[in-house]
Amino acid sequence: MNGNPFPHTSQTFNISPHRFQPRSKSQFLRRHPSKRLVLVLCPLVLLLVFFFPTLRTLAVPSLGTAIFRDDPLITTVHHYDLSKSAGTGRGWEREERVLMCIPLRDAAQHLPLMFSHLRNLTYPHSLIDMAFLVSDSKDETLLLLNTLLEKLQSDEDPHQRFGHIDIFEKDFGQVVGQGFSDRHGFAAQGPRRKLMARARNWLLSASLKPEHSWVYWRDADVEVAPPTVIEDLMRHNKDVIVPNIWRPLPDWLGGEQPYDLNSWQESETAIQLAQTLAEDAVIVEGYPEYATWRPHLAYLRDPYGDPDVEMEIDGVGGVSILAKARVFRGGAHFPAFSFERHAETEGFGKMCKRMGFSVVGLPHYVIWHMYEPSVDDLRHMAEMEQERLRKEKEAQEAAGKEKPGGAGSAAAVSDSGESPLKESSREKDPLEMYENGEGFLHSVRAAELRAAKQVAEEMRQQQLAMDKAKAEEAAKKATAAGGSGSKGAKAAAGKSKDAKPAR
Amino acid sequence: MTMYKSKKFRGRPFCIITIVGASLLLLFYLISPSSSSSKAQKRPPPAIGGTKSISHYRLDGLQSTWKSFESHERVLILTPIARFYDEYWNNLINLNYPHELIELGFILPRGREANSALLRLEEAVKRLQTGTKKNRFAKVTILRQDFDSPFSQSEKDRHALSGQKERRAAMARARNSLFTTTINAGISWVLWLDADIVETPSTLVQDLAAHNKPIIVANCYQRYVDHGENKIRAYDFNSWQDSDTALQMAKDMGDDEVIFEGYAEMATFRTLMSYQYVAGNDIHEEIQLDGVGATALLVKAEVHRDGAMFPSFPFYHLIESEGFAKMAKRLGYQSYGLPNYLVYHYNE
Repeated sequence: MNGNPFPHTSQTFNISPHRFQPRSKSQFLRRHPSKRLVLVLCPLVLLLVFFFPTLRTLAVPSLGTAIFRDDPLITTVHHYDLSKSAGTGRGWEREERVLMCIPLRDAAQHLPLMFSHLRNLTYPHSLIDMAFLVSDSKDETLLLLNTLLEKLQSDEDPHQRFGHIDIFEKDFGQVVGQGFSDRHGFAAQGPRRKLMARARNWLLSASLKPEHSWVYWRDADVEVAPPTVIEDLMRHNKDVIVPNIWRPLPDWLGGEQPYDLNSWQESETAIQLAQTLAEDAVIVEGYPEYATWRPHLAYLRDPYGDPDVEMEIDGVGGVSILAKARVFRGGAHFPAFSFERHAETEGFGKMCKRMGFSVVGLPHYVIWHMYEPSVDDLRHMAEMEQERLRKEKEAQEAAGKEKPGGAGSAAAVSDSGESPLKESSREKDPLEMYENGEGFLHSVRAAELRAAKQVAEEMRQQQLAMDKAKAEEAAKKATAAGGSGSKGAKAAAGKSKDAKPAR
Repeated sequence: MTMYKSKKFRGRPFCIITIVGASLLLLFYLISPSSSSSKAQKRPPPAIGGTKSISHYRLDGLQSTWKSFESHERVLILTPIARFYDEYWNNLINLNYPHELIELGFILPRGREANSALLRLEEAVKRLQTGTKKNRFAKVTILRQDFDSPFSQSEKDRHALSGQKERRAAMARARNSLFTTTINAGISWVLWLDADIVETPSTLVQDLAAHNKPIIVANCYQRYVDHGENKIRAYDFNSWQDSDTALQMAKDMGDDEVIFEGYAEMATFRTLMSYQYVAGNDIHEEIQLDGVGATALLVKAEVHRDGAMFPSFPFYHLIESEGFAKMAKRLGYQSYGLPNYLVYHYNE
């Protein structure tokens, strides 16, 4: 008997002869000659499997993956395993597709700025599909959108181009105007929010496809947003996540202000208030009529706080929402009715909570919404301007009396403690300053300020180009009809960023 | 032991490396294609962009009218499917609404049982879509759901009251996943047709659409043999008109409780459409409903687009299709039923 199976016994060395005998073959192979075949076949099979991935499924047919794929010959049949569009915290590495939904209404003036934001997004553009809904617009939103998109999609740099783009048009009938004071009046809130909810739902249901892992909702009127915003929000790997939304203000109004009050945590007072209201009533935040005492995401901002700090919330604001597509696939939507006394995005937050999804806000991660002066603000600005002119005149007169032939108004003003930069901007009409995106941005942090100024400059350029194009168009229309309109608009789009000639 | 082993393979480290490496690689390749950690959905090849990728739709022009047939309105037929019946498939093919205006959507649960259904569905779809042009449907989408269904599909389990909430919630999620990803800009109508509906009139779509109601449901019956006699009996109890008793029950319930219909433990005294059937009466007689079943349910696409979905949570103490009718009502859409228009459920 060769090869004692119990080497630890004292019998180990009792076998004769007591000397070393080299073996011609490994013991393993000697005992199992068939194993040699296995040793040869294994790498062979592995190599085959490596080069022909289709063979893998043969090994595990019961998993059902073998048949779950599209047949290239049958173009009308499509297969999707929804578990592959689940959405994870590292979507950009795993090539997860994002559907970007942007509702638009009379937004032509915001489009150039919005497109510069789109261009700057760092999430791989080819993984982003976009869906626009243009509703109830009386300006050139649609025309401008088309030309800007065409330019974007025919960009020389293929990395700039986005995936598939859907533009939907649908009028929902408008309850209220789009002016700031119209939109934000208390009485208008309920019906207005319900209409906007309908618009959002139509946009989503028409554009969401099985391959989307994430849905990013973004408003057009964002002033400043980090280009990494999608990744920054995605990293948290939450079902629904929103940043904090603030807006810059003119200095005389305090420099900056929380804007979006729809992201909040539920409070006892609000729950009790909800119970006293009629079934169709809608609680809207930020109005003294409904004192809810809820902790708002917006008010919890610390400019120096960690931007990754999370906060559980119950209602969400709609300026910038990143949600996993499975949230919408599960049925969550923007209620166009009073859902637990809330509608639209706030109702969406409530519904997500009800369905067991995580809803999170980032109090110290800020996106800046555009500042649109209300009628009162504009009136106040005009008054301030008159006041300033009067004071200047007085100062000038005083200076003229004290120092005959002296420095003049500039010295007088800088004496009163104003910076030279502000002084130069003082020469302008505040209304004009607003339109140019200047003046009120001082309070925004330095980097953001620079970005905002650049963007504002671009905006002004585009506005000029558009006006020019319009004038050309009008001139052409006067001389010859047809064709000239789109050409003019294209020329406008061509000047929008890098002055590349239109196709 | 280790000493012995190392002796055995001494001088042959290649053997160990090969065997260990081979088994590791084999394991890796076997597991990786099926695990959830595989790469995300890649089916549409990474888009290149370009102006061709811009599509434009006017949703204003969409309509769903009683003349669905003549105005070429597109219909999306949706079916959550766990078991495949040939009778269902044949009945579907026999629908005489123009097939080029019909898109199909299926969703399958995960698990072994659904795999056999998937195999048969695949085979049937392949045969149809490569067959006669006239019979081909415009588009077929087959989805695999991204969550596990908590229930087994045996007839007895399916109808036990205890498991109803989980079962109906999972069904609601499946339905929502199906319609949210398959409704596209061209769809005017959505027909929910369950996989175990084996017999309907071939004019089902036109007949239901002719009523021009936002939500309309046929009466679901079942054929059975009793002492050698062919008989029919009511099957789907989810289509009903509300009763004061049920409303009172709902008022007294906790937030997370649900009322289910058709259980003796929960007598609601609602008016059930199933029992309104009178043989020989006008099949186009309509009644208003407060809850609907989704066995054969025609919905105008705008109802879904506005947000009406199948709640997977208690919504006014209702869930799934019954909750859907309630949510549609909150959005301003009334549900209707046709008590004398019968469709038949498979008999296990």
